Amino acid sequence: MSDNNVMKGGLGTGLLILSVIVLLGSFGFVMYNLTVHGHATFNVSSNLPWGQPISTYLYFALASSGLGLIASLPLVFGFKQYYGLAKRAIFLAFIILVSGMAVLALELGHTFRMLWAIPFNMQIQSAMFWMGVFYAADLLFLLWKFQKMESGDWDSKATRTIGIASFLGVLLASGNLALIFGMMSMRPFWFDGLLPIYFYLTAVTSGLAALVFFTYLAYGFQRGAMPEKLQQALAGGLPKLFAAVLGLTILFVGVRAITGLYSNNPEIHYVWTEYLFASPVYVASVVLGLLVPFALMISASLRVNPGIQILVSILTFGGLFAERYFFVVGGQVVPLFKGTWAWDMIQYTPSITEWALTVMGSALLFTLYVLGEKFFNLSAAPEQPMMDAAADQPRQATA
Amino acid sequence: MAKWGMVIDLDKCTGCQACTTACSMENNTLPGESWQDVLFYHEGEYPSAQMKWLPRPCMQCEKPSCVYVCPTRATYKDEEAGGIVFVDWNKCIGCKYCMIACPYGVRFYADEQPLVEPDIRDVYPGENGQLWSPPYQNPEQDWRRGIGIQPKGVVSKCTFCHHKVSKAPEGVADLDEDDPDLVEYVPACVRTCPPKARFFGDLDNPESNVNRLIGDKKGVRLLDHTGNRPQVYYLGAGAGIPAFSPRKS
Repeated sequence: MSDNNVMKGGLGTGLLILSVIVLLGSFGFVMYNLTVHGHATFNVSSNLPWGQPISTYLYFALASSGLGLIASLPLVFGFKQYYGLAKRAIFLAFIILVSGMAVLALELGHTFRMLWAIPFNMQIQSAMFWMGVFYAADLLFLLWKFQKMESGDWDSKATRTIGIASFLGVLLASGNLALIFGMMSMRPFWFDGLLPIYFYLTAVTSGLAALVFFTYLAYGFQRGAMPEKLQQALAGGLPKLFAAVLGLTILFVGVRAITGLYSNNPEIHYVWTEYLFASPVYVASVVLGLLVPFALMISASLRVNPGIQILVSILTFGGLFAERYFFVVGGQVVPLFKGTWAWDMIQYTPSITEWALTVMGSALLFTLYVLGEKFFNLSAAPEQPMMDAAADQPRQATA
Repeated sequence: MAKWGMVIDLDKCTGCQACTTACSMENNTLPGESWQDVLFYHEGEYPSAQMKWLPRPCMQCEKPSCVYVCPTRATYKDEEAGGIVFVDWNKCIGCKYCMIACPYGVRFYADEQPLVEPDIRDVYPGENGQLWSPPYQNPEQDWRRGIGIQPKGVVSKCTFCHHKVSKAPEGVADLDEDDPDLVEYVPACVRTCPPKARFFGDLDNPESNVNRLIGDKKGVRLLDHTGNRPQVYYLGAGAGIPAFSPRKS
C-alpha cells in the first residue's frame, strides 16, 4: 500500500533536491552574515532581544510537542483508530524538533559553549536549564519510540513504558517552555500561570496541521492513494479533533485579548491596542489562520473533504506561525523601565538573515521529511489493533 | 565583607550625563551600550507638565531575577564582592534570557546593529577576542566578572566599577571622592558627578553615610513591587518612572 507514497519516487527526489538546495543556500547565507557582521545582521536589539529566530524555534518546538501528544492518543491512551498516524507523527515530531533546535543554535551568541556550560553549571533555578533537560529527554524518547516501531514492536511492555515516558517528556518540555515566558512577572503580557495549557492546545493545533499536511504530501494530496487505515483516520475522528483544538485555541486567544483590552496596565493594554490589533498582519493571521479554518472544520461535510483539510492545515500553519511571532515580540514591544522616555513602542521587523534562518529551519524539515518517507514506512501500523478497530466499525455504524 | 550600595539624590541631579560619559570612558562601552544612562521623560500635561530625569545604573539587586534565569550561572551575584551582579563572559552563551528578566532594562548585547554610523567596531576592529579594540582602553580586564571590553556574543552590564572598589581598604564605610585617600576607589559615575548627587558606601555598615542618607532622606528603591530589592536607592522628589504611553507623532 505504501507504494503509493510519492515521496519514494521521482517527485520525492525532486522535493529532496529542492529542499537541500534551499537548505544549503539559506544556511550559507546565514553563516556568511553571522561571520562577517555578527548578530548585527539581526534586527533584534538590547531593548528587544528575542525576535523571529526565537519565535521560529518556539513554533517548531511546540509543533513537535503537539505531534508527540497526538501520537500518544493511540500509543498511551489506546485510541486505536489513530494507529495509522502514530509513526509519521513520531517521526515528524523528531525532525521538527531537530529543525527548531538548528534555528535556535544559530540565534545564540555561543552555540557550542551551551553544550558544556548548561550541564556543568546545573543552574536548576533556570527554566532554560530545564528546557534543555526536557527537550533532550523528549528527543531521546521520540527516537527510542520510533526505533521500537521500526522494529515492529508496537505493544510490548517496554514500548508502552517508553510511550508513557515520552508523553510525560512532551508535557514537561512544552509546559516548561511556556513557563520560560509565563514566569516573567516583569513582562505582564506573558506573565500567566496557565500559559502551559495555552501552549499544549496550540501545540496540538500546529501538530495536527503538520500531520495532515505531510500525510497528504506523502500521497500526492490524494487521499484515495493512502492506506485504508490512514483514510479512516482522516475521514473519522481526526478532523473533529482538529476542529475542537482550533476552537479552543480561538477561545484562549479571545480570553487573552479580552483580558488585555480590559486591563489598564499599559504593558498589556497597549500591546493589544497599539501593536497586535493595529497590525493588519496579526488581524489577518487570526482571521485567516484560526477563524476561517475553524469555520471550515465545524462543517461536518467540509471537514472530511481532502481539499479543505489541506487548505485548513496550510492556513493553520501560517496562522500559528504568526501567533508565535506576535506572542514573542508582543511581550517586548513596550520598553521596560523607560516610561515616557520612549517615544513609541519598539519597532521590530525581522531582517533578511532572520527570515533566512526561518527558511533554513523549514528546508531542513522538508529535507529530513523526504528522507524519512524514502527510507521508512511511516504509515506502518500494527495489524492486530486495526482488526479490533475494524471490528468496532459495525458497532459504530449501528450506533 | 561590605555590601556595596549607591544612593542617587534626584534633588541634586542636574541630568548633565557626566556619569554616562565617565562610565563609557572607564568601561569602554559602545554608543548605546550605556551601562549608566540618564532617562529623560515627561509627566503630566499642560499646565502641570513636568520634565524629569533619572540616572539609571544596574541596581545590583538583592534578589536578581537575571541571576535566576541564567541557564549557565554566567550571571551571578557575588556576595564576596559586595553583592555585585556580574556576567562571566567565559560562560555566557548569549541566550539573552537575563535581558528579558531584568525589570530595569540595564543589560546590553552589544553584538547588535550600531546606534550611530560609522560603526566604531569597524573603525577599531576587535583583536584578541574583543568585540572592538580602541587604541585607548582601560587596562583592567576580568572576563569572569564582565570587566573590560567584551568578546562577541555575550551580555554586558554595569559592574559598580568593581575593578576600582575592590581595591578599597577593608572595612571602609563609604567611598567618597572628596577623600584623597579613597578617591581612586570610587566608581567612575560617582567620582565624576558635578553636583555630588551620588554616594557610594557599605549598606551593612550602620555608620555609613549611605545608610544615614537613606534613613534621613527617605530613600526609595524603584519598581519595589518586582521584589528584586535593588542595592541602589533614590532620594528626593520624583523617584519613579511615569508609565509608558505611545505618542502619535
